[in-house]
Amino acid sequence: MTASARTPESEGPSAVQRTHPLRIVLADDERLFRSALAALLESRGHLITAQVGDADTLRAAVARTEPDLAVIDIRMPPTKRLEGLRAAVDIRQSHPGVGILLLSQSVQVTHLTELTGYGVRGVGYLLKERVADEHFLDTVRRIAAGECEFDQEVLGLLFNGPHQQGGLAKLSTRELEVLKLMAQGLTNPAIASQLVVSVKTVETHVGSVFRRLALPDESEGEYHRRVLAVLTYLQSERHG
Amino acid sequence: MALAVCGAGFGTYVLVVTAPGRYPTTTTILFSGAVGGLYLGAGLLARLRRPGNRVGLMMLLVGIGWFAEDLQISLDPVVHTVGLLVRSASSGFLIPLLLMFPDGRLRTRIDRVLAGAGYLTAFVLMPATVPFSTSVVRNLLLVHPVDWVRPATDVVQFVMSGAVVAVLLVRWTTATRPARRVLTPLFAVGLVGGLASALDGMLGTGPSWTHTPLINIAHVAVLLLPLAFLAGVWRVRMGRTAVADLLRRMPLASKEQLRDALARALGDTSVQVGFPAPDATGYLDSQGRTLGAAPGQQVSALERNGRRVGVLLHDPALREDRYVLEAVVSAVALELDNQRLAAEVRAQLAEVRASRARIVEAGDEQRRRIEHDLHDGAQSRFVTALVTLRLARQRLTNQPTPDPGLAELLDRIAELMGEGMDQLRDLAHGIHPAVLSETGLVAALEMIAARSPCPVRVSAAAVPELPRPLAATAYFVAAEAVTNALKHAGATTITIDVRHEDGVLRLAVADDGVGGADPDRGTGLLGLRDRVAVFDGEMTISSAPGQGTVVSATLLTGDSGRAAPVQGEDGRG
Repeated sequence: MTASARTPESEGPSAVQRTHPLRIVLADDERLFRSALAALLESRGHLITAQVGDADTLRAAVARTEPDLAVIDIRMPPTKRLEGLRAAVDIRQSHPGVGILLLSQSVQVTHLTELTGYGVRGVGYLLKERVADEHFLDTVRRIAAGECEFDQEVLGLLFNGPHQQGGLAKLSTRELEVLKLMAQGLTNPAIASQLVVSVKTVETHVGSVFRRLALPDESEGEYHRRVLAVLTYLQSERHG
Repeated sequence: MALAVCGAGFGTYVLVVTAPGRYPTTTTILFSGAVGGLYLGAGLLARLRRPGNRVGLMMLLVGIGWFAEDLQISLDPVVHTVGLLVRSASSGFLIPLLLMFPDGRLRTRIDRVLAGAGYLTAFVLMPATVPFSTSVVRNLLLVHPVDWVRPATDVVQFVMSGAVVAVLLVRWTTATRPARRVLTPLFAVGLVGGLASALDGMLGTGPSWTHTPLINIAHVAVLLLPLAFLAGVWRVRMGRTAVADLLRRMPLASKEQLRDALARALGDTSVQVGFPAPDATGYLDSQGRTLGAAPGQQVSALERNGRRVGVLLHDPALREDRYVLEAVVSAVALELDNQRLAAEVRAQLAEVRASRARIVEAGDEQRRRIEHDLHDGAQSRFVTALVTLRLARQRLTNQPTPDPGLAELLDRIAELMGEGMDQLRDLAHGIHPAVLSETGLVAALEMIAARSPCPVRVSAAAVPELPRPLAATAYFVAAEAVTNALKHAGATTITIDVRHEDGVLRLAVADDGVGGADPDRGTGLLGLRDRVAVFDGEMTISSAPGQGTVVSATLLTGDSGRAAPVQGEDGRG
């Protein structure tokens, strides 16, 4: 049910970490849900360093326990609007090493910009119900390892969304096609076979997509530039 | 009318009968006929114009009396004797006429006594002297001539005249402007004529260089007197014209204008209208100050259907022209009552609109709460149950001899619960999209686009943070329009355009479908009309066959006087 911007094996996070237990902070004001989620994660050997029910306690818990990952409900008291998101943004600034997995009960695409404003390394955004999915525990691990993960439904909304005009006008039809496939998490060889072209051609297209979208930081590496390209693609019209 | 015709016939008869006895200078047929005729004509006119006013009747009687007096000029002894009996008839009627001018009523006791004395003198005292007076023509009723009778009656007549003049002078000096306006023509003519006569008498009636012009002036004055009466009555009538004018100018924009128009119509600059104070304790003037009557001002109540709607402070002299005053009082009462009713209707309308806005708002609030409860309640339990189920499934897998049938059942449950959750989420979204209260209208419109199976383009310009019920209204209109376009119109592209300018939010949803939608039937849009109206807006649907459909709505976001809560941080979705 989830789609991640997968990277070629060579560039992915080390597989050694797969068995390493994670230190996780859970932030959700629904105590029952929080306990169930904690039980699920603990069943895989992870350590829940703190369970909190509001944003301020979350910030404090992250500062105190310095976890690998914070799983945060977007809506928390007192206003039940976007406290979780604000706290997540704060944590990304104060503790860039902490992975963030945001959970939302409804599909919304407008929060993505705020969340990805500091890069997409170690960021996830999922519908809350995905925690019951088979892949959830893998996802948790990947985000903690620095990958990013966006809910299929969120991406689906973005694809159906209004992007006939705007910044993407700079891209050629073929480049747009490549970008779409990138956004679906396909690797360059996969894209090549899908479009029935050579991998080299795809690499050229990907390179020109990066250029045309003016993605700045080459130090981010291929994987994250891909994700940023996708996100730029998805959001350029919306906010530009 | 009949009286006037009889009078005219009588006058002609008199003129014919008396023709042989007339002197060529003082008592010509022309002059007599003109004066009498003028009284008759003016009286008739006054009578026709103002049937309720006795002035016209009295003028007719004076005219007949005038002709009757001339009978004494006749050389025929019988006619002459009759003429002697009525030789003061015109002044008998003239005295009451002067006193009751201009409204036809004898106001004071003195007026009534004087009028009575006038009748008594003319129709009792004067005839009673006939048996004792000699004349140039044979007096058939002569019993015995008494020399002092003539001077005595002259004294009586002089005293009477003096008393009437005194009363009129007092009236003039005490009269206020509106009253003087009516009295002026009569008094001016009377003064000129009287002065000329008096001067002539003092200078001697013998033919001299002064006599001819003076007597001419006096004659002209006598001629003009009936016209002066008529002019006075006419001026009262002018007052009524002013009332008609006032009525035509109503309703007046401001209280100040109303007061000024009244002052003009009544010819009374001191007039004040008392508007009921809001706390119903008294009256306020046109500038909102507490109203008090100036010394000598009269207060007329303005009533309508038995309800006191205000007061009018005015010059007491206006009472003398009560027709005008009554008309003005009615007109102002009508106007004030209209203003009161209009204010009442406005207040009621405002209340109805406010209550409609409250109903919409309460409905939205309820929807939001339901959506919120679904999220935080049912949906959250579902997720928790799913996670717990997942734990159970995991534990089953970890058992040394897992039951494959049980694992399958657990998977099936998880699947069903997942579907239930999807439905629940769609339901919650349909009731009230969380994005609307969390992020605003434009984001919610983009969600409509994102969920649509066919391309929907959203363009938004300068949309500020909107009051929550207004944003919801625009959202529901757009959502319904898109649903219709997809369901009925077979549209392939849809555009949603929303922009805000000059305090108006304009929303337009256009599709390229089959068109031909009946705006009055079969769409959920109709139900949204009332919602749109809450924001003084309107919704139009243009859908010519084959031309696609455009649903547009305008919503007023500016200062429309409604206290709609602004979408704020306390939003719960």
